[in-house]
Amino acid sequence: MNAIDCLIIGGGPAGLATAIRLKQRLTQAGREAAVVVVEKAARLGYHALSGGVFETACLDELVPGWAQLDDPFVTEMVRIEQDDLYFLTEKHAHLVPRSLVPAAMHHTGDAAISLSRLAAWLGKLAEREGVEIYTGFAAERLLLDGGAVRGVKLVDLGRGRDGTPKKNFLAGEEIEARVTVLADGARGVLSRQFVEAFGGGENPQIYSLGIKQLIKLPAGHAFGGKRVIHTLGYPNRPDVFGGGFLYSMGHDHVALGLILGLDWKYADLNGQLELEIFKGHPFMADLLKGGQVVAAGAKTIPEGGYYALPTLTADGGVLVGDAAGFVNMEKIKGLHYAIRSGMCAGDAIADALAQGNASKVALAGYRARLEERGILSDMKHARNYRQSFKHGTMAGAPLSLLQSWLPFRLAMEQDHLATRADARLNRVKTGMDKPQFTSLSGAMHREDEPPHLRILDPAACVECANVYGSPCVHFCPGEVYRMKGTEMIVSHTNCLHDGSCQVKCPMQNILWTVPEGGEGPRFRAM
Amino acid sequence: MHAIVLVKQVPDVSNIPEEAWDREKGTLRRGVLDSVLNPLDLHALTLALDLRQAAPAAGSRVLCLTMGPPQAKAILFECLARGADEAVLMTDRAFGGADTWATAYALARGIRKIERELFRGEPYAIVAGMQSVDGDTAQVPAQVAEDLDLEHIAYAQALELTDGVVIRRIGPTGMETVRPLARPFLVTVTACTQPSYRSFHRSRASRRQALLEWNAQAIEADPQRIGLPGSRTQVFRIFSPSEEKHKSCRYFTDAAPLAAAVRERYLQGPAQAAAVQGRAYELDGKQASYHGDVWVYVEQAEGQINDVSLELLSEARKLAADLKVHVGAVLPGHNVGSLAPSLMAQGADVVYLADDPLLRHFRPIPYKKTVGELVVKYRPQIMLFGATPLGRELAPRVAYGSDAGLTADCTSLEIDDVERSGVTLTAILKQTRPALGGNIMATIMTKGSQTQMATVRPGVFKAAAPDLTRAGTVIRHAPALSEADIRTDILSIAPLPPRSGVAEAEIVVSGGRGLGARVRYERHLRGLAAAITGTLPGRVELGASRMAVEDGFIGHDHQVGQTGQTVQPRLYFAIGISGAVQHVSGMQNADIVVAINKDAHARIFNYADFGMVADLETALPALTEAFAAGRTT
Repeated sequence: MNAIDCLIIGGGPAGLATAIRLKQRLTQAGREAAVVVVEKAARLGYHALSGGVFETACLDELVPGWAQLDDPFVTEMVRIEQDDLYFLTEKHAHLVPRSLVPAAMHHTGDAAISLSRLAAWLGKLAEREGVEIYTGFAAERLLLDGGAVRGVKLVDLGRGRDGTPKKNFLAGEEIEARVTVLADGARGVLSRQFVEAFGGGENPQIYSLGIKQLIKLPAGHAFGGKRVIHTLGYPNRPDVFGGGFLYSMGHDHVALGLILGLDWKYADLNGQLELEIFKGHPFMADLLKGGQVVAAGAKTIPEGGYYALPTLTADGGVLVGDAAGFVNMEKIKGLHYAIRSGMCAGDAIADALAQGNASKVALAGYRARLEERGILSDMKHARNYRQSFKHGTMAGAPLSLLQSWLPFRLAMEQDHLATRADARLNRVKTGMDKPQFTSLSGAMHREDEPPHLRILDPAACVECANVYGSPCVHFCPGEVYRMKGTEMIVSHTNCLHDGSCQVKCPMQNILWTVPEGGEGPRFRAM
Repeated sequence: MHAIVLVKQVPDVSNIPEEAWDREKGTLRRGVLDSVLNPLDLHALTLALDLRQAAPAAGSRVLCLTMGPPQAKAILFECLARGADEAVLMTDRAFGGADTWATAYALARGIRKIERELFRGEPYAIVAGMQSVDGDTAQVPAQVAEDLDLEHIAYAQALELTDGVVIRRIGPTGMETVRPLARPFLVTVTACTQPSYRSFHRSRASRRQALLEWNAQAIEADPQRIGLPGSRTQVFRIFSPSEEKHKSCRYFTDAAPLAAAVRERYLQGPAQAAAVQGRAYELDGKQASYHGDVWVYVEQAEGQINDVSLELLSEARKLAADLKVHVGAVLPGHNVGSLAPSLMAQGADVVYLADDPLLRHFRPIPYKKTVGELVVKYRPQIMLFGATPLGRELAPRVAYGSDAGLTADCTSLEIDDVERSGVTLTAILKQTRPALGGNIMATIMTKGSQTQMATVRPGVFKAAAPDLTRAGTVIRHAPALSEADIRTDILSIAPLPPRSGVAEAEIVVSGGRGLGARVRYERHLRGLAAAITGTLPGRVELGASRMAVEDGFIGHDHQVGQTGQTVQPRLYFAIGISGAVQHVSGMQNADIVVAINKDAHARIFNYADFGMVADLETALPALTEAFAAGRTT
């Protein structure tokens, strides 16, 4: 009864775009089919965070006439009028002349948005199309059946801290579907299983970590309401890839963030602290004067690009958005790729369902559409862009301009291999601390559930402490990890679901599993 | 047996995002908060599911009923996903703006319709959460019971189904095991059970299930008794909790004067007692809008008057002086006549004594009948109840039965003239109470009633010294009671398990990672707690920050903070605790906070009344000794 034709794991822009497009196509074809989105956050958008510059053209195709909709998301959307790139030295800020900024990095005319709000809005549109959306359900395992994706299994509910079932125990339910779309984001638990089963890219996937705060500025502030700035340089050392941003978000709010390539070498780099140091730069401090931080969060961004793209389809299975690694680092944007890849998947699945066949062959139209829509060709053009910055922004900038002419593949290694035991920043603590940062994310987990962050081998943590000085204690923005003597203490309740620990643990000793649905951060406007 | 679960959609006050605050006005933007199923209703649903499972009369069903806007469907879908069989949404613009009185009336009409049309006369029970987190009044279920003339079994903890339905509940004198003698009956739940989870497949199925939607006409409601017109109270003003804690820390360098200052402050009693001092009102010959005396319900157990009744008599004296009327004390019970003189000494001019063997134990029906008969006969203009467990059961029923508005948990009462839509109300009672989990304050006035009723939490007002020279009259009332008014069989009353747990303690001694190691936590904190136990009245418990619990200093039961226990003790010691927001959110409502830390910049000092920057190894033994020394003085 009520068989599911297409099950989409993850209610972010990629998953929702898939759902909307597929449902539109099915409706056009006069077919009754169940399209179901399952999201682990309590509400759509609660686990969605991004920088926020968005090329809205993809919406014209997904939701024709969207700009006329009477919804605060649309009516209050900030259109960027001023777009500047600065290079920061320790004390000064230098405006980079616009003629020197690559065209791909021009943002005038784009929108500055909150991804949390975009996801919530897309959810409303999806429901209007007839998509079923269920939030607060977390999937923990991909169900495979002889090489085909059969569906997912949800996480068990109601276990005690030691794993013992409690009175209200509910065994994880299985959900089967003809096609399962994984839109569970960067290093999603299920997409990771998919890649393990069906194969990764030529290069390993690499990531960066985005740390963000939403700040309310006093009325009459000088930043302006339709402005974005990007920064290079301070506080990053030349050998750390990354940059900062400050975006108008409407109603006197600004989004402030720092993106750091997780291939940094410093064993004690703390992104949350780097953001505070960034805020202390005289140029930034002046812009942010009198501001109050109202929300905070973090996420990882897949940056491996073209050569890191994994197998995208299997019998009954498709990867979309960040889960697949669709981010163009030349533009520092993945949002419109998330939506476009979702639309391509929606079209391909509609075609496959029309044939009554969900095999890999029937789903091959997905890759063809990605080519057609220019996503793969754009990514191919930028294929060596991120790799050029392997040794930091300074060394990478000249090479990046040449990267598309390089006839070969610049190899990458996994981020955790870059950590050097002797490389330390030795920063002095300043500004907001991690507990406060975490609190502003709204993160919450049931204290007495089994920790969803599993330490695979306690002895490896001791070794790591001796060799590297426990980098996780520093890089985790939520202060989940703490060494007490020879014991690694894991405070899973603090977890921001950013996933950096899986990427950056030098020993690859942390397994991120899913907690009970409905937990984690609560981003409303991130 | 079927069950009807009364559920409510409420704002999630457990997670208030920064952007929800309107800092200029000091109030909450309620629209920004998430809407959730009221937490206690979830436990009520779990109890109802247990009832269905354990009393499996063929075709037993659990039905969830709510009244609200169309968006409230969300919680009904949630209830179905958690195991309920059916759901009814009562929605109509005409229901809007209802207070507890008008809500209870409408829900009772809905229940009658369910009884007639869905259950077709088959037996059922009504289950509800004791209170909602937004209003926090606990009035609606009791008033539904009053409207339908049902037994109300409050403070239910668990269900036993060994021999028919038996309910364990916290009664006035102990843990009661009661058997409801009549069907239907109404149970309100306060226990925190392990609530049933939502199932994905049930969630999906629920979307296909048609919810029943009823409007005011469908439930045959009298338009004058629902929504705004049917309400007996009206919010007059919403404002910020003025006494928002801006603590300034008094620092000490030595343990002895610190201990002395803490002891002195603690023994002064709750800070709030002195805080609210309404100005005197002058009637000046004006015609007051209400007539009659000011009454206090006197709560007694085994011949012992509850302190809150004495506090209320003192407050009633002041109100009566403003209004130039008398103070009445209502005293039901069995063999309690000897208490009358002490009530007069405390301020009563008239004691209404109802002495009857059927009033030996508190049961809601005989008690509300007795008090209701007196109210209707003598019509006081104001009646005050203590917001005790008993008061929260009794006051809503008396108010509903006597057609009076009731405001729960007032922190300030004041006589004043009010002009509303061109009409001047003279010498009415302005009732101020916290709402939305204490995040806003609301001033409320009664309307459409002859009596203004309010409950007041114990300790809010101070009892004046008794004046043994005061005299008064005793009016005896013979209540019209019969054995038919006894609708529960109290099978046993066991002494309540000793109050345990850090959440209930009057004094909490908490330690954090600053203590360094478990042995130091053990040695210093247990020693200090023992010394305080001997010196200050009240139960002392140990607490800990999350980090200290993770480090194994003490078990998780003692963790204070966002993911542990929320405590509200009279006295809180934060020792070696830095004051992360997650910890502070669990203890910031403590009355007196003492912080000891070696880091002078620790954030905990921002929340402390008394502070000491010191090395814990030397400061704690000195403090322990200072408290121990206080034992003899």
